[in-house]
Amino acid sequence: MIIVNNRDKLDWHEDMTVRDVLEKMKYTFSLITVTVNGELVQKIDYDTHIVPDNARVSAFHLAHGG
Amino acid sequence: MSGVSKSKTNVKKIEITVNGKKVTVVRDTFLLQAVREAKAAVPTLCHHKSLTPSGSCRLCVCEIETRGKKQLVTACNYPVREEISVETASERVLTRRKLLAEMYLGRWPNVPIIKKIAKSLGITESRFKSEHTDENPKACILCGRCVTACEEFIQEKILDFAGRGIRRHMTMPFGEVDPHCVGCTSCAYVCPTGAIEIIDDLNGPANPVMIRNAGMKINAEMATLDKSQNKMRALGTATIVEVMDAYDLLPVMNHQYGSHPDTPKIGVDLLKEKYFTQGTADGCWKGCSMACSKAVDGFQLKTGPYKGQKVTVDGPEYETAAGAANMGCFDMDFLVEFNFYCDTYGLDTISLSTTMAFVMECYENSIITTEHTGGKELNFGAVGEVLECMHEMARGEGFGVDVGQGVRWLKNKWIKELGADPDFLQDIGMEAKGLEYSEYVSKESLAQQLGYTLAVKGPQHDEAWLIFMDMVNNQIPTDEDKAEALYYYPLWRTWFGLLGLCKIIWNDVVPADNNKYPPTVAAKVPGHVANFFKFFEGMTGIPLDEEKMLNQSARVHNFQRIMTRMLGFGTREHDMPPYRAVGPVTKKEYESRAELYDKQMKEIIGIDPEGKTTEEKMKITREYRMKKYNDVCDVVYRRRGWTKNGVPTIARLKELGIALPELIEIIKDDQEV
Repeated sequence: MIIVNNRDKLDWHEDMTVRDVLEKMKYTFSLITVTVNGELVQKIDYDTHIVPDNARVSAFHLAHGG
Repeated sequence: MSGVSKSKTNVKKIEITVNGKKVTVVRDTFLLQAVREAKAAVPTLCHHKSLTPSGSCRLCVCEIETRGKKQLVTACNYPVREEISVETASERVLTRRKLLAEMYLGRWPNVPIIKKIAKSLGITESRFKSEHTDENPKACILCGRCVTACEEFIQEKILDFAGRGIRRHMTMPFGEVDPHCVGCTSCAYVCPTGAIEIIDDLNGPANPVMIRNAGMKINAEMATLDKSQNKMRALGTATIVEVMDAYDLLPVMNHQYGSHPDTPKIGVDLLKEKYFTQGTADGCWKGCSMACSKAVDGFQLKTGPYKGQKVTVDGPEYETAAGAANMGCFDMDFLVEFNFYCDTYGLDTISLSTTMAFVMECYENSIITTEHTGGKELNFGAVGEVLECMHEMARGEGFGVDVGQGVRWLKNKWIKELGADPDFLQDIGMEAKGLEYSEYVSKESLAQQLGYTLAVKGPQHDEAWLIFMDMVNNQIPTDEDKAEALYYYPLWRTWFGLLGLCKIIWNDVVPADNNKYPPTVAAKVPGHVANFFKFFEGMTGIPLDEEKMLNQSARVHNFQRIMTRMLGFGTREHDMPPYRAVGPVTKKEYESRAELYDKQMKEIIGIDPEGKTTEEKMKITREYRMKKYNDVCDVVYRRRGWTKNGVPTIARLKELGIALPELIEIIKDDQEV
């Protein structure tokens, strides 16, 4: 189990990547900053950065509407 | 499993060797950046970090080896796509580089940057002097940065080269000052020699250089970052139609739902592919480097006084497209025609679509019938009937006249004349203070519910758009956090709005390093707040910080709130939302998100929904949500220095230095705290 944005619970699986987390959360916005256990993950690493079990993931969307 | 492993291969990263040193770079990184990451010194003349590299000066030449084959390449525009070995100062490289430097020195012997590069290569004299040698230390060295900046920063082509060979020179068309030049100063900003100087100081700014430098930072970000962020230059604000749908925030059928399978029919991909025709910049003002406005050319109208004519339509923007979803009209031809006639008739697309959406829901609930609509069957999605209502409105005829009065007026009329249920109409009539809601679903963001209703003018989101911060990021979880956001953002946005600065350059493109801040700070986009403060200081000579800015804005904001009070609004009862902005009004609406609402009931409210009817669950949800709304409203009022009834306290006015007798007279009887 991992926790996203200090609230949402997500089932964990082996070799779960940041991209997997974003897809499961349906996070498609272009300006998202991701940290895993406090460590910043660059966009280029979304497909390869493995999210460990019990991780706390932050997917910070920067948007303020029109 | 614990810790982070990176067992998967990242095919987007490549390892290269620079002067024998291993460096890992992202695929397609230009070689110049890669060698600099390896701390190798490579001279450049035409290169600028914010411009597309051209390789024209060739000073950055390096020798690369790929699969046993060696070649010289210009590092600034050579993309790394495979493992290579790089020599930045091989004998072959240095021979070429020195020859180039000597030639530059021969043509422009006194230009500091050329002298410096030549000296670094051991050259102080040139063999190549001629009648074209220019002794001016600020001579144009034909690097082309200004030409590229004009095109990439503000999407103009005012500067270019003319002449061939030794007669090549930089100029405007026909050697005259081009009237399209607005003096944006981009060319001067990137010029490495000072050949282009800015001498104007229109409006007598205290520090024009400070303003220019901050402006240039913004222009450079537009050119380099927007294409990988929100793509506002290419797509405009309509780019977020599908985004809002994906996050359940696109208002569908009078704000009942947040998404719809037909959204792509009014989405930006279709607009880009088949409708947007103007490939050039279309900014609010000539010289805007964002130029996010878009247009549709040659659109043939199907209805109204201009039926059959081909017209140019300025838009559609996000709000107009979302308004179509709100009316259930997922039809791009309709959307563009609706946009055109709103502009032509002088109608606000937001107010009209939200009003029409209300009318449609009333029609579907048999509160009104064709008898009242002049025979029009105004179900959701009735595109032809919506357009006909608009034309009636413009002609001052029929049912369109009623629609033109807006949601509040219609509610009152139908309650009074038709005996409609006032509670239901209040719940679904998306207006507050008499203004129609803009096009975002706020049900799952308590902060946004108040962002809408506490806005001075009514539920428009230009004071605060906090949905992602609240609903998605969960970064303002407590009442106090929400109240702080509802203190800061309305004041910040009011402040830069008063200065005439644009919201889009604040946070629709953000600095590349904005992710170094924690979320609550990153949300403010500190780099861009600093730019805006520099605009202010550059103009007035007065340095600014956050506290001073907030106090400046609070003076205006409180003044506005008191004016609102004077006009009969500006108290708590007028800050109350229609319930649909807070939660599900109908059974169908609740059941469309039953899983979410039931989960919230169990985990947040602390009541087990098991065995309860939908009506019972709706009641529990409503009581909880309205209580939370009022709780946070109390905290926001306190944070703003207002009474429990939402009126600025006299003490707050004194603190801000605006305790004018005229203002106190308006609020003196509303001071119970």
